[in-house]
Amino acid sequence: MNEPLNGPGDTEGAGGHAGGDGIGAAGRQPPPTGGSKPRPDASMTLITTVLERPLEPGYQEAADRRTSSGLPAATSTRTVIVVVMAIVTGFLFAVAAQSLRPKPTAAASVKEELVSRIEGLQTHGTAQEASIVALTRQVHDLEAAELAQAGGSDLTATINTLEQQAGIVAVAGPGVTLTLDDAASAGGNADAGNRPSSGFEAGRVSSADLQVIVNGLWAAGAEAVSINGHRLTATSAIRFAGQAIIVDFRPLTRPYTVTALGDPDTLRSRFEPSFGGVYLTQLSKEFGIVSSLTAGDSLSVPGAPGERLLVAEPLGALPGNAGAPSVSTATPSETTLPSGVETP
Amino acid sequence: MIPVLGLVVGLALGLLLDPSVPVWLQPYLPIAVIAALDAVFGAVRAVLDGIFNDKVFVVSFLSNVVVAAFIVFLGDQLGVGAQLSTGVVVVLGIRIFSNVASIRRHLFKA
Repeated sequence: MNEPLNGPGDTEGAGGHAGGDGIGAAGRQPPPTGGSKPRPDASMTLITTVLERPLEPGYQEAADRRTSSGLPAATSTRTVIVVVMAIVTGFLFAVAAQSLRPKPTAAASVKEELVSRIEGLQTHGTAQEASIVALTRQVHDLEAAELAQAGGSDLTATINTLEQQAGIVAVAGPGVTLTLDDAASAGGNADAGNRPSSGFEAGRVSSADLQVIVNGLWAAGAEAVSINGHRLTATSAIRFAGQAIIVDFRPLTRPYTVTALGDPDTLRSRFEPSFGGVYLTQLSKEFGIVSSLTAGDSLSVPGAPGERLLVAEPLGALPGNAGAPSVSTATPSETTLPSGVETP
Repeated sequence: MIPVLGLVVGLALGLLLDPSVPVWLQPYLPIAVIAALDAVFGAVRAVLDGIFNDKVFVVSFLSNVVVAAFIVFLGDQLGVGAQLSTGVVVVLGIRIFSNVASIRRHLFKA
């Protein structure tokens, strides 16, 4: 109370100092509603009061009291209590802003953790796929070397053909690229998780659409097909989970790019009048699904991660190999093709 | 200037300490902030009018905050908390706008 600031006690008695930061009594204004005549809108006193006298009437009364007793109308704004109230006000603002800001809920943190786990596992899966490709190539080379040593070079060509047919190796050549995308009216937001209860939207590409179209491409003579870089083989499946399309357990994101290798003209001329082509036209007409079919001269289709039969055994296998479960226990370094395959 | 410094100090304190507000107090915070804003703008206008009085400021500040919180509390008890809060916000908002308009006329003569 004794510091240079004016204490609250001396606001009444400190007649010597010029209060109000020099504004003084000259800045006083008469009360806004000073008219003596009754106003025409006197019945709306509440609105009039709120609109025209927003200032606390107490300020005017206190100023009048002080002027009548010979003091400046305004007190200083530097009194301790004003500063304290200013600090309290700032504190209140900061606390309110911080505590009322929406906090991350438990569900949000769980969701973030799930997202990070999913992303981590996807990265892991991608790395594993890459190592599968590398190992497959290594296996292939070792196979070739082994066969060359054993003098069975004729088998190398067979293996190559079989691998191409099984879709294990990447292939390239001319073909067509068919791009499918959801209709513009389908929202198109990838955040499908925000609408868990909504049904399937007509403007979305479904897994059944992709199945029909891919089957149509096979029927039109495609030699190798991939969707968004996933090679389709004899054991590939196009499925759905919720609203996501899944190819070999890997979810796809729109747009869906189907690459089919084969003679572009033949593919196009056979596909467009076929059931798959007509189906695609209907999809575009009825639901506005966007599709475009373009031919390319040097398209490439990646190889599928190698799969070998673990439990199933080929029919007509050689008696020596028929009962041997060695196929199921084959270590990855062994390169035995399923027995019997080479003698169709 | 000194009150402005005090305001900044208070803001910094609140941001640094980050006290946890009890849950039962949280519904009253927004209304209290609006009421405090009204009192602050009223005080600024009074300063510019040359009729500022620190006691009136403190009393109006505290009574504004307490009455606003009490109205919200009463409304919650009666089941019309949202409506009463809206009423308080409308009235205080109009006052804030009028005061700010008056401050603007003082500062910019427009």
